[in-house]
Amino acid sequence: MQIRFAGIGGQGVVLAGVILGEAAAIEGLNVVQTQDYSSASRGGHSIADVIISKEPIYDVMVTKADVLVALHQLGYDTVKDSLKEDGLLIIDTDLVKPDRDYIGAPFTRIAEETTGLALTVNMVALGYLVAKTGVVKKENVEKAIRRRVPKGTEEINLRAFNVGYEEGSK
Amino acid sequence: MRYPFPVGKSDFIQGDEAVARAAILAGCRFYAGYPITPASEIFEAMALYMPLVDGVSIQMEDEIASIAAIIGASWAGAKAMTATSGPGFSLMQENLGYAIMTETPIVVVNMMRGGPSTGQPTFPAQGDIMQAIWGTHGDHMLIVLSPSTVQEAFDFTIRAFNLAEKYRTPVVLLGDAELAHMRERVYIPNPDEIEITYRKLPRNEEEAKLPFGDPHGDGVPPMPIFGKGYRTYVTGLTHDEHGRPRTVEPEVHQRLISRIFRKILDHRDEIISYETFELDDAEIAIISTGIVSRSAIRAVKILRERGVKAGLLKLHTIWPFDFEVIEELAERVRKIYVPEMNMGQLYHLVREGANGKADVELIAKIGGEVHTPMEIAERVVG
Repeated sequence: MQIRFAGIGGQGVVLAGVILGEAAAIEGLNVVQTQDYSSASRGGHSIADVIISKEPIYDVMVTKADVLVALHQLGYDTVKDSLKEDGLLIIDTDLVKPDRDYIGAPFTRIAEETTGLALTVNMVALGYLVAKTGVVKKENVEKAIRRRVPKGTEEINLRAFNVGYEEGSK
Repeated sequence: MRYPFPVGKSDFIQGDEAVARAAILAGCRFYAGYPITPASEIFEAMALYMPLVDGVSIQMEDEIASIAAIIGASWAGAKAMTATSGPGFSLMQENLGYAIMTETPIVVVNMMRGGPSTGQPTFPAQGDIMQAIWGTHGDHMLIVLSPSTVQEAFDFTIRAFNLAEKYRTPVVLLGDAELAHMRERVYIPNPDEIEITYRKLPRNEEEAKLPFGDPHGDGVPPMPIFGKGYRTYVTGLTHDEHGRPRTVEPEVHQRLISRIFRKILDHRDEIISYETFELDDAEIAIISTGIVSRSAIRAVKILRERGVKAGLLKLHTIWPFDFEVIEELAERVRKIYVPEMNMGQLYHLVREGANGKADVELIAKIGGEVHTPMEIAERVVG
């Protein structure tokens, strides 16, 4: 399965990809995670690719995405053509105006309301994605979050992930 | 020995991180570097790990000093490494030659990015293949390895140290920005699962007096360690078996340089390694190295599904180059394609190897994206 996260620098797009990849690795699946970002540390487009498979993976980046998670219009516009025709588009409904069918929620707003921090938007969106697709098990993502987020921020990130997961389970 | 990362299990890490962990497991205890995208994460990991294994990681003022520092460390008895990318690799060229001339085991990692000059810092390329082989001046011989997966980045780093130690030579590990930053599931072995090679030390005073001789007939002289009781002269000038400068006698220069070539070329079979996919009955051969090999494997699968008898030769060692294997292949295939992320470098070596026995076509791509499998397959189908 090819999953692509698209946003702008500062939204934690790459970390969301890394955590999803780590969860897949914990499950014993083959996984490749790559990223593409402009040199700007904030504001430029930021793309993270995760390819998960039981077979060996030779691709280095998403060629035809099964799922595109778009957190910002700039990221969406940059890579929208890479989503398969019958692929799943998940968006932050406040920040992305798509030109095709989609599902989603106001992830950034939910993040602010839940944790007080807009930058936990990546975990909210990740929770939503995992609930909607079941690509990896919830508990493995939680394990990966504990390993990968900065020390002391585990609980806040887990809370954001779980709120996103609940939103996606509705 | 406790390692600062889990061993005997799989982990999900970047190519850069895999290089750093492999170096530690191979026995590297000295790292000197200067940060540069996309190799900085190797330095970061070394800065973190080295103090925990009683090693040293030091930031130098530039890449010239970085390679100079690891040459010194190697003569002091440490396994040593530096890592950089294009612009830094250019700065290292003079001292890379010094390491070849003084037969100093070192590992130099170049995570290639788009060039020339500062080029495309965050994007992958394969524009330094020829530079890795011929970048430093003068007649010389060294070893260049080229990984295509994070697991290979790990495995080839261990191999790079083993070859450097065994043949007393610099080894270049040629990766790229994609591999450097890509994360994959990698198996990090227990130390007792990997074979580690150490350089030959002088067994007696007689051998110690010949740090550039050939007492064992294999072209590789034992290497004394600074401060361990012998008097050794180390110079980049042409020198005799004792290390003394002898710059005006043609035969001294011939003897030294021939031996530096011979010690590697006589052991070609052990140094050269490659992998083949579906090549036995192939009519079309793809030859690739590094990151592009991933797309080439997929391209072979696509072509086979379409009834085209395609196969892949994936080169792990790109110098010394296996011209013979290319010629044998050229004799039995219709055509050879060489996809690479530059305007044509490996292509020229393959053409020399093919020796006119098969048509060789370059599939060049620059700009920062790896060839897609379809791009390769479509060129083959035409």
